[in-house]
Amino acid sequence: MLYLLFFLFPVAMAASAFVLRKQTTLTVAIGVGWALVQTALAAALPVEQPARLLGLTLNVDPLGRLFLLTFLAITLCSFLAAFALPHGENYVPVAILTQGLAGSMLLLLQEPFTVALLLVSVGILAVLAIVDLPIGTPALVGRKVIATALKYLVLMVMSGVMMYLAFVLITIYEPGTLPERVSPARLTLALLVIGFGLRIAIVPFHTWLPDLVEHASPLVTALIVVVINTSSLWFFVQSLQFFPIIVFENSRGLQIIMGIGIFTALVAAILALAQEQMRQMVGYLFVHNAGFLIFGLGTAQTFGMVGMLFEAFSQLPAILLILISVAMLERPDGRPANVLRRDLLWRWPVAATGFLGGMLALLGIPPFGGFVGKWMIYQAAHDQAAWLVVPLLVATAIAVLAVVRVARERLFGPADDLYQDEPDRLLGETEVDRPQERRLPSESAGLAILVMVLLGMCLVLGLYPQPLLTLIQNVVDGLSFIQA
Amino acid sequence: MDIGNLNLIVAGIGISGGLILLLRDWRLATPALLLMYGFVAAFLAQQQFIPPDLQVGGYPISTMVLIKLITGGSAIAILVITALTFSREYNLEDLDEFSLTELRRAARRAQQQRATQPFRVTDYIVPIWALVLALLASLALPRLYPIGTQEIDFVWYWLGLVGLFSMVLAADILKIGIGLLLVIESISLLYTALARAVQVIPLAFLSLTTVVLALMIAYLSGLLYGRLKTLELNELYKS
Repeated sequence: MLYLLFFLFPVAMAASAFVLRKQTTLTVAIGVGWALVQTALAAALPVEQPARLLGLTLNVDPLGRLFLLTFLAITLCSFLAAFALPHGENYVPVAILTQGLAGSMLLLLQEPFTVALLLVSVGILAVLAIVDLPIGTPALVGRKVIATALKYLVLMVMSGVMMYLAFVLITIYEPGTLPERVSPARLTLALLVIGFGLRIAIVPFHTWLPDLVEHASPLVTALIVVVINTSSLWFFVQSLQFFPIIVFENSRGLQIIMGIGIFTALVAAILALAQEQMRQMVGYLFVHNAGFLIFGLGTAQTFGMVGMLFEAFSQLPAILLILISVAMLERPDGRPANVLRRDLLWRWPVAATGFLGGMLALLGIPPFGGFVGKWMIYQAAHDQAAWLVVPLLVATAIAVLAVVRVARERLFGPADDLYQDEPDRLLGETEVDRPQERRLPSESAGLAILVMVLLGMCLVLGLYPQPLLTLIQNVVDGLSFIQA
Repeated sequence: MDIGNLNLIVAGIGISGGLILLLRDWRLATPALLLMYGFVAAFLAQQQFIPPDLQVGGYPISTMVLIKLITGGSAIAILVITALTFSREYNLEDLDEFSLTELRRAARRAQQQRATQPFRVTDYIVPIWALVLALLASLALPRLYPIGTQEIDFVWYWLGLVGLFSMVLAADILKIGIGLLLVIESISLLYTALARAVQVIPLAFLSLTTVVLALMIAYLSGLLYGRLKTLELNELYKS
């Protein structure tokens, strides 16, 4: 009964939110209420007690439940931000349904075929949010937005197809019974890497992510990167857990995965450094971080896996923090849209602080949460071969440089408003003749509090990582494909 | 595959796939896709991967075959109805002057493009070579990398490759949708034919995915047409 409620409640609430979508504030309030109730339902789910429903096995382990609760907490924060930030008319219903489907995936991880198709469905659903416009907007949907949505749709369907194909191959594989056939374990791993690579945006399958960050609403991007990508990553780990033969027959394949991880981290960092647009730079840094995650997974060793999973957790508040901060930094401030703003730290101090804090957390700079995960990944790299640490450190250094560059060019410039002297009054000029004074509203108090809360979460994860590390360690110890 | 024992249904799948790859106009490609769904259903009925549980016109078939036919028919209906009744209409009163101008400009450009688009044989050179390549690969791969029987392997490789090439060569958004539907059909067939224990839920989800995908392609087509008055993809990348 609890499972049925867990699956059907989001569907009912998404339908209600869709019907009421013209009432923006009410819809967001429905979203907030749903997130709170769904969190209570998720907390009540029995852990490690498999159940059967419609012929499917439902189960959730402690880490899976923690992922579920974290996704809900992040979604709740997104809904709170949606009170003050512009978003499309279908954002709330799509977010509720996406979160509901992601929750279903986390419960159905023992049914890889079903989860692969659920991932395709979630991807298709997200397209609706990408092309969404706010109610009553005077603008048209941008060409590039449609192109981004189409690219995302095609790549996500192909990703699902690759996964599905891999699962079919691995389920029909019987070691030793058909010696004349080539072992499909390698092909399966290749298909899984391509399928999940498309999902979590590793180079060279990454192109959709920078486009998405640049053209979609930041709240939609957060939904996709935080909920969909992270649950895909967890699904990848669970797939290897259910079919450990893929790992055992592929030591070379794992080395290739580590190589792809390093390549992704390096290339994405270089591309981030080359970007002129802040959003593009952010997109490439998300890809850079995906490189670290895939490297940790490729080590298939305890340290690397714990580091990867910790990093997967710690990036969640960081990503939302960065995207909300970007949305706040881009708010109109009275200057013409074509004027490059260089003094954002002085103009929007909370948003700029959130942006910098989120970036440092994402790149693993102490004392933020990202540091713990990254440090363990460096150690895992060192355990594999000492020289592997070098490209990872170089990639991080380049990524930090990209952030410093953006900060110098966009945040720390001289403040226009603070240093502008009062122009002399001309002869005969009256108050009416003078240009209207630019109105400079202050930052939204609600958003400022939200940014501070998210920044606090990033800090807490860095300063007190032990409870989460212990939980992850216990789960990783139970993974069958982990090598000592 | 032995030509002497050529399975006519497999030949039908081959021909309809070839037509989908070659035909540039969605008005012709969608009926070819319907034909393809019909042949795939017939192939499933013929091979009886799932034991028959129904009698239709004296022929024993599985419910799954019927579901596949209904799913394919629904996807085609969604695409055709969308294509015929297109366009997400914007509420013109909400739009600002810039947006209205842009809509007028897009309509003018689409009209000019339609007027100056003659039939050119050269447009078919790349699709023909893609067809040859897909055919060669579909014949070679079942020998190089056998997964099921030769017929099954040919059919799923063929569907997958035709879908993939259709997407690569697509000039309009509906053709991309047709390519995606073919790729989904390919793995659906592979799962039905080869999975040791075919479960109802994954097959139901595959059907659902097909219909939802068709709906999303229809929505994006409407959005694109409403915005640019054309389905051509190259218009998306013009500044």
